[in-house]
Amino acid sequence: MSDGKPTQAPGTPPAGMAIPGNRTMPKEDRLTPPVWEGGRAAPPNGDFRMIGKRNRKVEGLAKVTGRAVYADDLVLPRMLHAKLLRSIHAHARIVSIDASAALALPGVHAVVTGADMPTHFGIIPWTEDEQALCTDKVRYVGDAIAAVAADDERTCEEALKLVRVEYEPLPAVTDIETALAHPEWQVNEKAGEGNISKHVRLEFGDVDGALAASDHVVEGDYWYEGSTHAPLEPHCCVAEFDSTGFLTVWSSTQVAHYLHRDLAKVLNLPTQRVRVIQPVVGGGFGGKSEPFSLEFAAAKLSMVTGRPVKILYTREEVFYAHRGRHPMRLRYRTGMTADGAITGTDALVQLDGGAYSSFGLVTTYYSGQLLTAPYALPAYRFDSTRVFTNKPACGPKRGHGSVQPRFAFECQLDKLCEKAGLDPIEVRRRNFIGERTKTVNGMRVTSNGFLECLDAVERESGWAAKFRRMPYGRGIGVAGSMYISGTNYCIYPNEMPQSAVQLRLDRSGRATVMSGCSDIGQGVESVLAYIVCEELGLDLRDVRVVAADTDLTPVDLGAYSSRETFMVGNACLDAARHLRLKIAQTLAERWGVAAGEIVLANGVACASSDPGRFAISVKEAFQWAEARHGTLGSVGWYQSPKLGGEYRGGTIGASPAYSFTAHVAEVECDPETGFVAVKHIWVAHDCGRALNPVTVEGQMEGSAYMGFGEALLETQRYKDAAPGHAFGLHHGPSLLDYRMPTSLDTPELHALIVESVDPEGPYGAKEAGEGPLHPSIPAIANAIHDALGVRCDALPFDPPSVMRLLRAGEARANWERARAQVGGPR
Amino acid sequence: MLTLPAFAWSRPQSVEDALAVLAAHPGECLIVAGGTDAVPNLKHRLHEPRRLVHLGGIGELRGIRAGDAGLEVGALVTLTELASHPHVREHFPGVVTAAAHVASPQIRNMGTVGGNLCLDTRCTYYNQTFFWREALGFCLKKDGTRCHVVPQGKRCVAAHSSDVAPVWIALGAEVEIASRDADGAVSRRSIPVEAFFVGDGVHNNVLAPGELVTRVLVPGAAYGLRTSYRKLRPRAAIDFPMLSVAVAVRGDAARIEELRVVVSALGAKPRTLGGLDAIVAGRAHDAALAEAVGAVAHKQCHPLSNVPYDTDWRHDMVPVFVKRALADALGVPA
Amino acid sequence: MDAAALVPCTMQVNGDARTCAITPATTLLEALRYTLGLTGSKQGCDKGDCGACTVLVDGVPTLSCLTLALACDGRAVTTVEGLADKGVPHPLQDAFDRTGGAQCGFCTPGMLMSAYALLQREAAPTRDEISHALSGNLCRCTGYTKILDAVELAAAELRERAK
Repeated sequence: MSDGKPTQAPGTPPAGMAIPGNRTMPKEDRLTPPVWEGGRAAPPNGDFRMIGKRNRKVEGLAKVTGRAVYADDLVLPRMLHAKLLRSIHAHARIVSIDASAALALPGVHAVVTGADMPTHFGIIPWTEDEQALCTDKVRYVGDAIAAVAADDERTCEEALKLVRVEYEPLPAVTDIETALAHPEWQVNEKAGEGNISKHVRLEFGDVDGALAASDHVVEGDYWYEGSTHAPLEPHCCVAEFDSTGFLTVWSSTQVAHYLHRDLAKVLNLPTQRVRVIQPVVGGGFGGKSEPFSLEFAAAKLSMVTGRPVKILYTREEVFYAHRGRHPMRLRYRTGMTADGAITGTDALVQLDGGAYSSFGLVTTYYSGQLLTAPYALPAYRFDSTRVFTNKPACGPKRGHGSVQPRFAFECQLDKLCEKAGLDPIEVRRRNFIGERTKTVNGMRVTSNGFLECLDAVERESGWAAKFRRMPYGRGIGVAGSMYISGTNYCIYPNEMPQSAVQLRLDRSGRATVMSGCSDIGQGVESVLAYIVCEELGLDLRDVRVVAADTDLTPVDLGAYSSRETFMVGNACLDAARHLRLKIAQTLAERWGVAAGEIVLANGVACASSDPGRFAISVKEAFQWAEARHGTLGSVGWYQSPKLGGEYRGGTIGASPAYSFTAHVAEVECDPETGFVAVKHIWVAHDCGRALNPVTVEGQMEGSAYMGFGEALLETQRYKDAAPGHAFGLHHGPSLLDYRMPTSLDTPELHALIVESVDPEGPYGAKEAGEGPLHPSIPAIANAIHDALGVRCDALPFDPPSVMRLLRAGEARANWERARAQVGGPR
Repeated sequence: MLTLPAFAWSRPQSVEDALAVLAAHPGECLIVAGGTDAVPNLKHRLHEPRRLVHLGGIGELRGIRAGDAGLEVGALVTLTELASHPHVREHFPGVVTAAAHVASPQIRNMGTVGGNLCLDTRCTYYNQTFFWREALGFCLKKDGTRCHVVPQGKRCVAAHSSDVAPVWIALGAEVEIASRDADGAVSRRSIPVEAFFVGDGVHNNVLAPGELVTRVLVPGAAYGLRTSYRKLRPRAAIDFPMLSVAVAVRGDAARIEELRVVVSALGAKPRTLGGLDAIVAGRAHDAALAEAVGAVAHKQCHPLSNVPYDTDWRHDMVPVFVKRALADALGVPA
Repeated sequence: MDAAALVPCTMQVNGDARTCAITPATTLLEALRYTLGLTGSKQGCDKGDCGACTVLVDGVPTLSCLTLALACDGRAVTTVEGLADKGVPHPLQDAFDRTGGAQCGFCTPGMLMSAYALLQREAAPTRDEISHALSGNLCRCTGYTKILDAVELAAAELRERAK
């Protein structure tokens, strides 16, 4: 200290020291999860007290009383409102933007454009092709260009009309064929070549040989129009940049963590000075699983004005944000032996991706990778190409990437069964891939309750008495499917857990669970509470869940790919068991009994050997444990084991557990009009274990409903390019023209839970949120065939389409022929 | 959310006051009752009035009265009230069916008989936001010069979309219109509902600025008519008609004396089928008769792409729906 | 009154006399949510296509996004916040919670108001009647099954109470 300067501690890096870039990550080494005696599926206290019971949800009463706070319910002092200026062209170069007149309008506080935050982002790190606001080019009608903050929304609207944008229109492509035929009309400069967003070709086994050796081969072309999520809550966010340089964003997102990262990146802020909070979200279905223009624009405007800024999308803008189901053109060749064994499958798939990549890289893989169960496919090839078009970007909608191929494939199976004269349920049984096995593309299958699913829908629907036996116009159809319970990798490569929970107990007798998980109505916050209650013997009201606040909660990747129950459920199970163990040890010590004897249930902690003598309240047990161990807290995390095939892309589609579903749909068709009324859908779903049957049924019913809607009613179309018509204009971006089914349209939905008890799921649970959607569409298509003798190979099966089919072919003769094969009216 | 444009507000308490407000602000007013058509259209900037004249306070426009001269329905009677009125249910089931098929329960609770009659015409290129229409290049009904349905067309073909109006027409009902002369005197005139509509989608009725629809009058002669209504819509609720058919029959299935069929959701005004007398007069209902009526309908009705649903199929559905509506009215299986 | 001026509007909201100053171009939904702070009623579609904004005006289910607030001057408005009795949820609210009738919860307030009005006029509605009464309320999560279950359950419970 002779010179009076503070000395540096040895090894302390100097302030402002540069950290070398391009450091290599260590070789992948997965974390080892704790192993519990009796496994993860077993109840901690002998039998289940909470799990499997028809419980309320933790936030249920807040929702039914109007107290639940959604993003648009937030009002901050001095808050401004903002709106986005959107492109009226499907494809154009932005020559200039002049916002001076808008800025001069009284009540306007700021205008930002793409130049204020030009950094590209994208949910998949390999395809970062989006900007918060476009700088050079717009790529679809509705692409965002500028944002205005003003005192109120009407002033914003007036100001937007004053922003002068000079466009240089470019040739636009709005369908797959044109996109491929005109590579020079490039939609997205990040494309490798022309308008190809992604191409994947994978082959497993000798497909051509298998098809050549088949007794029956069916070749079919299918068209899946695509659809959108249409959650009832439009996207909304509030951003507040405070004087300390800290940004807080409340957003109706289902991926707070990814939003956190991208906000920091695009706005050039340190991640530790950005906080993302997800309020109660009014539905997502995949439509809120990426950052959108509104979050960046609101944040930037808050930074510029120093005031909180809210952006609420209009319903129309929700259609432009989209990220819905990809339109797909699919061609399948499928072979079968005379006795019904599937031999080979050859798939050619084209995906219409819209203007940006979104999750498209994954979608392209999923369009092939997720078809390889529940049936054994001895030989399988798929060739999938995603193209860019000048339309809102497609992305992940409930059943991401695999609903379309599943539709085609299950229809293929039905046609093969017809050809072979076999019962379609029986054929699905014969091809069952089994449990504890591997698919042809290297996916590990653990539990598999698909046979029970088939049994359940066959029994409950009265299949045997109905199939091919009902009068003309009435029919019944079956389909099956599988889906993932989360993916085995994070979207950006890293070695950290995919899910985490911090659990805190305090002497008041309360547990607080903190997790970055995202409840979008599916009930994951309740799942955490149920697990904590089960492990610690608490009442549901004594657990508080703090979720999706990046300041308060450990990272969970969010609500997508049906990962939450499985992954964060496992993290929570571990956290709760760590604390349970501490409590049990404390009580065992005091009472002089074995720790294994300790039971925590119904608010009471006791020793099972002598509960009359050794029993206290759980609250008191917490206090004993706190006295013995200090403040009680624990963490749990989940990282999936290394999974997947040993080939490029072999990890995409790999999941620690797969769910399985079977549907039977019953329809009544009006041959004079083409109207199809779906009367019933029986949906049997193997969810591993239903942690709460009410919410599992809700997911199954909601999935079947959503699939039914896109099969029959919902149209996602763009106006034609006839002279004078705007090219690529959404046909009707409203809930009037996008016809989601009402209560009167919806069939009776019969949810049949199947529990295969997965060895790795929390208490054996697997996903239930997306799988049960898949078979809806093909089951209805197959039922229409049973009813009318026509094959609906293109969505939607609206009355004009059904009428065209009825008139085009020899529908009645086909119907008679099919009828003659299996029974016939008795 | 979609905002409303700024407007001034009047809430007159009588027809006389209402007409005075309209006269005081010529060309500046939009009349609003239930708001279920006007408010979305305001949010879409399809109307940009300086002033809204809200009729909700005018008690004399409420109520349904059945008398010797026929049935009087006030313009402010809601569609729910109309559909649940015992007298209407007993005598005019077609009116009940039509009113009960409007949109949704809430819209029927709000929407009025007068508003339903004055419903603005609809088109897939028109009932959109300002942004959407700007991207389209606007259309001749609002802000633009060309028709996107009939590209060479000079006249707007936006579709008449009221569910109840076709039934009123089939019943021979009249609409009472109140107006105010230069001296401020209020006068009322009644014209057939059929004559109320004109074939111009921009403004498809004869109501002049400053006038007000006050009542619908169903003549005594309409009692004894058998009525029905069929609506083509993809969903069982919420949707506007893709095609609508109203039928009124004098006689019964054994002997049809007179048949009126009105088809709408085609162009700007409902179409009353012509030439039916020769087919039906004095005959019994049978398959051949139904087929013949359907054929007339098919020939005379031409759906357009103004309604966002397959045009050819809708054309095919015209005879199907006409035959079904006829069977409904006669109480026989289709 | 002119377009820009703020004018007073007095309504009986959930039993309380509430006055707010609004412009004529203010919808009832905006007045409830942003002026009176009753954010329970939701905005889903902007223009009367979804039913999330349903409230009762003089007891009748009404789309507050299509209703001008000034048209409600002097009238009684009931929102989802007004269903509970001294903090105790109405049996309908409780039934929605028990049956899983609310998933994301965004359609729930409007759904509850339509269902409440139905049960006011019909103590024992059939499932079909319930379905009709709720046909102007879109739900994207549940497939309606559990919502219909909830209304049936609440109706049964209310009938039991009335005995």
